[in-house]
Amino acid sequence: MTFLGMSSGVIGLLLAGTVSVVVYLYWLKPPPQRVIVPSTLLWNRLLKEKKKNTFFDRLRWWFSLMLALTIGLLVAAGTGRPELSASGRDLRNITVVIDNSATMATRTADGFTRWEHAVANAGRFLRQGSASGEFLILDTSGQAPPGDASDRRSALEVLAGLTVSLGGEPQFPDLPEIDSEIFFISDGVMVSDAPPEATVVSVFEPAHNVGITAFDVDALPSEPTSYRAFVQLKNASPTAKLIALQLSGTLDVGIRDTLTLEAGETWARSIDLRDFGRGPIRAIVTTNTDAFPADDYAYAFLPMRTQTRVVLVTPGSTYLENVLADVPRLSLEVVRPASYNPQTSADVYIFDRFAPSEAPPGPALLFLPPNVAWLAPTLALVEDPEVSGWDRSHPVLRFVALEDLRIDRAARVSASASNGQRAGPEVVVGDRSLPLVLLSDEEERIVRVSFALEDSNFPLHPGFPIFLSNTLGWLMDEQIALTRAPGRVEVPIPGATVTDIEGNDVTAWPLSDRTVFMADQPGFFTLASDDDRRLRVAVNLASVERSSVNDSDLASAEVVAAASTVVAAADPGPSDELWIVLLLLALLLVVAEWVTYHKRVTV
Amino acid sequence: MSEKATLFDDEFLKKLEYLNVVSNHMIPGHMHGEHRAKKKTDSGIEFADYRQYVSGEDTKNVDWRTYLRTDKLILRLFEEEADLPIYIFFDSSGSMDHGAPPKFDYARKIAAALCYVGLLNQDRVNLVGFADGVAHELSARRGKHQVWHAFRFLESAQAGGATSMEKAFKAFFSTRRRRGLVVVVSDFLDELGFSKAFDMLRHFRQDLFAVQIHTPGEARPDLPDEVLLEDAELGTSQRVRVTPALLEAYAEKFEEHCEEVGGYCRKNGWGYLRTTTDIPFEDMILQVFRQGRFLR
Repeated sequence: MTFLGMSSGVIGLLLAGTVSVVVYLYWLKPPPQRVIVPSTLLWNRLLKEKKKNTFFDRLRWWFSLMLALTIGLLVAAGTGRPELSASGRDLRNITVVIDNSATMATRTADGFTRWEHAVANAGRFLRQGSASGEFLILDTSGQAPPGDASDRRSALEVLAGLTVSLGGEPQFPDLPEIDSEIFFISDGVMVSDAPPEATVVSVFEPAHNVGITAFDVDALPSEPTSYRAFVQLKNASPTAKLIALQLSGTLDVGIRDTLTLEAGETWARSIDLRDFGRGPIRAIVTTNTDAFPADDYAYAFLPMRTQTRVVLVTPGSTYLENVLADVPRLSLEVVRPASYNPQTSADVYIFDRFAPSEAPPGPALLFLPPNVAWLAPTLALVEDPEVSGWDRSHPVLRFVALEDLRIDRAARVSASASNGQRAGPEVVVGDRSLPLVLLSDEEERIVRVSFALEDSNFPLHPGFPIFLSNTLGWLMDEQIALTRAPGRVEVPIPGATVTDIEGNDVTAWPLSDRTVFMADQPGFFTLASDDDRRLRVAVNLASVERSSVNDSDLASAEVVAAASTVVAAADPGPSDELWIVLLLLALLLVVAEWVTYHKRVTV
Repeated sequence: MSEKATLFDDEFLKKLEYLNVVSNHMIPGHMHGEHRAKKKTDSGIEFADYRQYVSGEDTKNVDWRTYLRTDKLILRLFEEEADLPIYIFFDSSGSMDHGAPPKFDYARKIAAALCYVGLLNQDRVNLVGFADGVAHELSARRGKHQVWHAFRFLESAQAGGATSMEKAFKAFFSTRRRRGLVVVVSDFLDELGFSKAFDMLRHFRQDLFAVQIHTPGEARPDLPDEVLLEDAELGTSQRVRVTPALLEAYAEKFEEHCEEVGGYCRKNGWGYLRTTTDIPFEDMILQVFRQGRFLR
C-alpha cells in the first residue's frame, strides 16, 4: 500500500500517535466529580452485589477501546490517502513535460482549455506507473522546480502548482539523465522541439481566435503634441470573422469600428487620439466566438502635453537653439551663463557647458557641466570614447538610434550613489565605467550628457530632436507607459507600490533599484514611489505568435489520432485510493459506537 | 440565629393551629383521656369492676352488700386514668443534614407539630434527638405552656455524627420509662440496621410510629458518569462508575430499604409513614392523624 497524502514515515508516526492518544485517553482517569450523599450504606450494598459483573465490565472496556482505536486508525490512515499498490502494472519511471505556453490557455469545444486537458492527461500518466516508481514533472516555462525524480505524490503536487504562462519564451526543458518514459503534452504551437524519445501527446484542437497583436500610443516626431494609436489585429481563426474594435479612454469619448478579416488575415491602422483625454487607453476586440481571450484587449497610456517653459543657458549653441525653437508648444528663453539668474522660473532648465552653483528649482538637462557641488564631479576627460551601448527601452531613448554616434571627448563621472542619494544615477548611454548619458530621479529629475554637442556628431543625427523631445517629456514626467509582456514585470523605479487600473493594490517586491510584480494577465499598472514619482506599465500579450493558436505542428489528423491512442492507453481506470472507503468505515463505526454507548454496551 | 428564627416562624405556627383544629374535628373528644391507659385500682372515682378479695388487702372497698347476699368478700375496683407518654425521637445524625430543605429541618418540624398537638392534649411529651446515641433530650413536659420551651429545644438542636438507633434507644430506655408511644422521625440509614433497635422497643413494650424521611433525589439520584460518593456521616468515599442500569438498581435498592422498614412496622402492628421533603409538612402530619395512632 502507498500513501499519496503523506510519506510512509509521517503516516507511521501518525498511526502510532493515534494509537498512543486513544490508549492514553482510555487509561486517563479524569478526577471524578465529588458528590456528598447522606449515606453510602445502600451504595456499598449495591456495589457489593454488582462485583460479580466486573469481568463483563472489563470486556466492555476492552471492546470500547478496540472500537475507538479502529476508528482513530481508520481516520489517520485515510488522511494519508492510501492507495493499493498497482501490483499488476509495469514497474517504470515516468517523466511528464507539460507545455504551459500562452496558447495552452485556448478553450476547446468542450468548454475546457488545452491546459486543463493537459493537466488531466499528466495526472493520468502519473497514476499509470507503479506506485514505487519515480515521477518527474517539468514544464516549458520553468515553473516546475528542476531536480531529480521523486515519488508520485510530490509530482502531483508540482503539477497542481503549475499554471499557464502568457509571457516569456517557452522552450522544451533539459531532461535529467534518468531511465524514464517521457511524455510531452502540448498543443504544438509555441514549443515543438521535443526530443524523439518523448511520446508527444497532443491537446491541440482548432480554435477560433481574433487578437490584438500590436497596440501602441505615441506622438509623431514631426508633430509631438499629436498622439496616435497603432493597432494591429489578426484573425487566427480557420474562418473569416466579423470583428468589432473599440478604443476607450478616461473621457466618455471612444472609437468603435467593425471590420471583416479573412482567415489568417492581419490588419493594422493608426488611429488619431486627439479627442481622448490624458490617461489609460484600452483597446478591445470582440467577435462571435473567441477561444483565446487573453489577446482580446490591450492597454496604453496617453500623456497630455501643455505649454512648457524652457530656459536654455548656453554660451551659444546653434543646434540646441534651433531645435528647441522648432518644438511646438514650447516657450524658450535663451540666457547666457553670465546673465543666468537662479530665481528664473521655468518648467525645464537646459544648461549647455554650464552649471549654476546651486541646483535649479526644477528638472534639468545638462551638457558637459563643469564641476559644481550639487553634481558628481568630473573624474577625467576621455578622448574618443566608444559608445558601448544604450538602453533602447528607456523613454528618453525611444526611437533614438546611436549606432554611428561619434564623440571626440567626454567627461568620466561617477555613476555610484553620492551622499544623500538612495540609488546611483541610471546610465542609459555608455556603461558605468564611462557613462555618457545619466539620469537621476531624486528630488528633481536630471539628465546629464557627459559630452558637449559640439564635440560630437549627435546634433546631426535624425534622432537628436527626438532625444530632446523624449528628454523634455521625461523631465516633465510625460512619458508614455512602459510596455511589458505578462509574467514577471520589472520596472526601474525602486521601492514603488503598484496599483492596477481599478486602483487595487498589487503585490510587489520593492527592491533597491527596481520594483518587481507579477502580471498573469494583460492589464494596466501604475507604480508610485515614495517621492510621488509615477510610472505606468501596460502589460499586453500583443504577439502574433501567441495569437496564432492554430499554427500547430500537431494539427495534422494523423498526429491527433496517434495522441488520442496514447491517452486512451494511459487511462488507468477507476482510482485505487482507499481514503473514502476508510472514512466511510470510520463513520459507520462511529455510529455503531454511539448506539452501543447509549445502549451501555460500550463504556 | 436567623436560620433558627425561620424554622418555626409565624407561618409555621399558623399551620400548627390549623392542624390542632383539624385534629379536633377528626376525632371529637380525643382530649378527654380516651387514648390514655386505664388502670383498674382500688382508688378512683369511676367504678370499673369487681374482684375476689385476697387476704391482707385493705377492706375499705369491700362490697358489704354483696357479702351479705352471697357470703363472699368482693372488692370494688375503680378506673384510674394514667398519662400516655409520647416519646418523639428525631434523627439528628449527619445524614439528616442533606437536601434542600434539609431533612433535619423537616424532621424537626414534624417533631414540633406532633409535640404541639401532644402538649395541647395534655400528653406527657419527651423530645429526643439521636445520632450515635442520645444527642439532645428534653425531659417529659406536659401542658400548652411547654410549647415554647419545646420549640426552643428543637431550634437549638444540630445535626451531625453517625446513626445508631440501637444505642440511642438503649441509652434512653435503660432508665425506667413508662410504656407509651414512640415516634421515630428518621431516614433509617443506620449502618447497624434498624431491626435491632425496633426489637428493643418491642422488648420494652412500646408502641412505635415510624416516619421515614428522604429527599426526592435520594430515591432517584442524578449523578455524572464518574463520581466519588462521599458519606455525609462517616466521611468515607466510594468511587462509582455510574450507568443507567446502576441507577436503576440503586432506586430498586432504596425502595427495598423503605419497604423493609415499613414491612417491619406493619408486621408488628406499628404505624409507618414515608415522606419526602418536597411534601408540605402539614400534609404529612395530617397523614399521621389519619392513621389514627397518634390521635385516639
